[in-house]
Amino acid sequence: MRTGHFKERTGQLVALSDSKVVWSFVALLFALALVAPFVLGNYQVTLLVSALIAIVGAVGLNMLTGTTGLISLGQAGFLAVGAYTNAILMMDFGWPVWLSLPAAGVVAALISILVGVPSLRLKGLYLAITTLAFAFIINHVILYAEWLTHGPNGIFVSGAKLFGFDIQKGKPLYYTALAVAAIVVFAALNIQRSRIGRAWMAIRDHDIAARVMGVDLVRYKLYAFMVSSFIVGIAGALISLQIRFVNIDVFALILSIEALAIIILGGLGSIAGAILGAIFLSLLPEAIRLFFDTFSDTNSSFYTTYVYEIRGITYGVVIIAFLRLKPEGLIGLWRDIRKYWSNWPLAY
Amino acid sequence: MDFFLLLVATGLVSGAAYGLIAMGFALIFKSTGVVNFAQGELVMLTAYISFSLYTTFDLSFFPLMLVTIPISMLIGLVLERLFIRPMLGEPIFAIVMVTVGLAVILRGVTIMIWGPDPFNFTAGIPTEVVYIGSVPFYPAQLYLIGALAVMTFAGWAFLRFSRMGIAMRAVAANETAALLVGISVSRIHAVAWMLSAAIASVAGVLFAANFKLAPDLWFQGLKSFPAVILGGLDSVIGSAVAGLIIGMIENLFQGYVGQGLREISGFIVIVIVLMVRPYGLFGSKDIERV
Repeated sequence: MRTGHFKERTGQLVALSDSKVVWSFVALLFALALVAPFVLGNYQVTLLVSALIAIVGAVGLNMLTGTTGLISLGQAGFLAVGAYTNAILMMDFGWPVWLSLPAAGVVAALISILVGVPSLRLKGLYLAITTLAFAFIINHVILYAEWLTHGPNGIFVSGAKLFGFDIQKGKPLYYTALAVAAIVVFAALNIQRSRIGRAWMAIRDHDIAARVMGVDLVRYKLYAFMVSSFIVGIAGALISLQIRFVNIDVFALILSIEALAIIILGGLGSIAGAILGAIFLSLLPEAIRLFFDTFSDTNSSFYTTYVYEIRGITYGVVIIAFLRLKPEGLIGLWRDIRKYWSNWPLAY
Repeated sequence: MDFFLLLVATGLVSGAAYGLIAMGFALIFKSTGVVNFAQGELVMLTAYISFSLYTTFDLSFFPLMLVTIPISMLIGLVLERLFIRPMLGEPIFAIVMVTVGLAVILRGVTIMIWGPDPFNFTAGIPTEVVYIGSVPFYPAQLYLIGALAVMTFAGWAFLRFSRMGIAMRAVAANETAALLVGISVSRIHAVAWMLSAAIASVAGVLFAANFKLAPDLWFQGLKSFPAVILGGLDSVIGSAVAGLIIGMIENLFQGYVGQGLREISGFIVIVIVLMVRPYGLFGSKDIERV
């Protein structure tokens, strides 16, 4: 049993992890994720794909809200930008998916500059309101710019091919989402331990102090906006591949709240937390559905009538319960358990 | 010219609703420093409760409000005690997120109780058209504008003259100092929520009487943000005035610039105001250099 960490080189301080146990667990989890679609049924794989997409989106939002401390209620807007960019480039311009997927991220990042620049002078609540306003403006533009976005008709997305596989269903979709999620998580972990990531945390903890220490607030806040929106845009593109029909109704305000619920549930600022939160919250509606299904038919018709309301209430309860009882989120819970375990039988 | 007058008149009506809702936002922000994202849901919930009272007891407008307002204040008090009070001392971000969570919960519960179908709700207000000059008005529209005027005046008088109102301004100016001179800050917070809920109920009932009582009433809360920002987040009277301005801007945009712009012109105003003058027209300027 290790009694403590003794770092002898500066490299060790910024290393992702110096524990062989952690790396072996990550490798084991990844291997499990690779074989999962061969063991699970189609429906479970679809659920896992949603969870993977949620991971991508949550990691993106976490960069902005968790790491940099800029509250965003406009995630639905960026997801919509990503999804529509991917759909338009694929269907109207005939781009291959390996090009349109990153392009969706790039367009979302460019548009985030539009939001970012007016938001630079703002923080906290004001920023939350601007991002909210932005999400509405995006929705409106998509609805009315019919020549580009097909307006209220929506766009069917089909025929996304990668290495000859149709990556819009079953295993190919799962592996695409898994690959994107793995790359995004790895990139995010590395950004967080770089100068940029440390600057973001400094801004979150005290922006005036950060400025005094030589962090260029304007530049690093804009970086946070762009990196976060790039990732969220890619999540949006993945959504468009999965649901196959892009329509503005998909990107309602509740999606922004779901995204915030995920990172609060997981633990703000922690990437592992974002992953945990995303998996937990994507599977939660399913658990609720099963709960209602175990009762009689009247209850399940009640569920289908009010599916959105029940989902919203769930998110609300999750947000409030975690903020009140465990503000560090699931990852904080995990840390407590680990500490308890390694210190047992001592209290601390 | 008639077209212009008509646009301004209808703009004033929807603006009065924004102004009332925005006053509720500003009241809570002023005394607690929290933007209450559940304000729109409070409007919706109290309007539905009022609707149920109306259909059961068949009251006319003023008795109806006399019953609705105390119930709304009670709801405001309960929400504050149950959800906001335990968060005392937590970071603002956490409290604001609690109101976001509260918003989706209230919305879901309201829709589950009253169902997803819209209702016609006259709130006991007569429906014959009244002419002022050449512009036709429904009485409900005049009630709405009147309610804004009354509420603005009452709000001003309350904050200016009453003991509680002065205490509220003291808490807004400096919470610690207010605590030191013997003001119960937690009681002020509770009162702010109660009054805000009362204003929300007036806004909700009159909005429903003018338009419709539908499950998307909560959205008016978000649509009132432009008014809150333009008026200055901590200015109760300012948000009332700004509500009227936003209402007119929306209608003029809709009438002269383009169809559908009504929905977002307010949000464009938000972005501009926040860039040029983040503390709004009437808000207190907060000097902080970075």
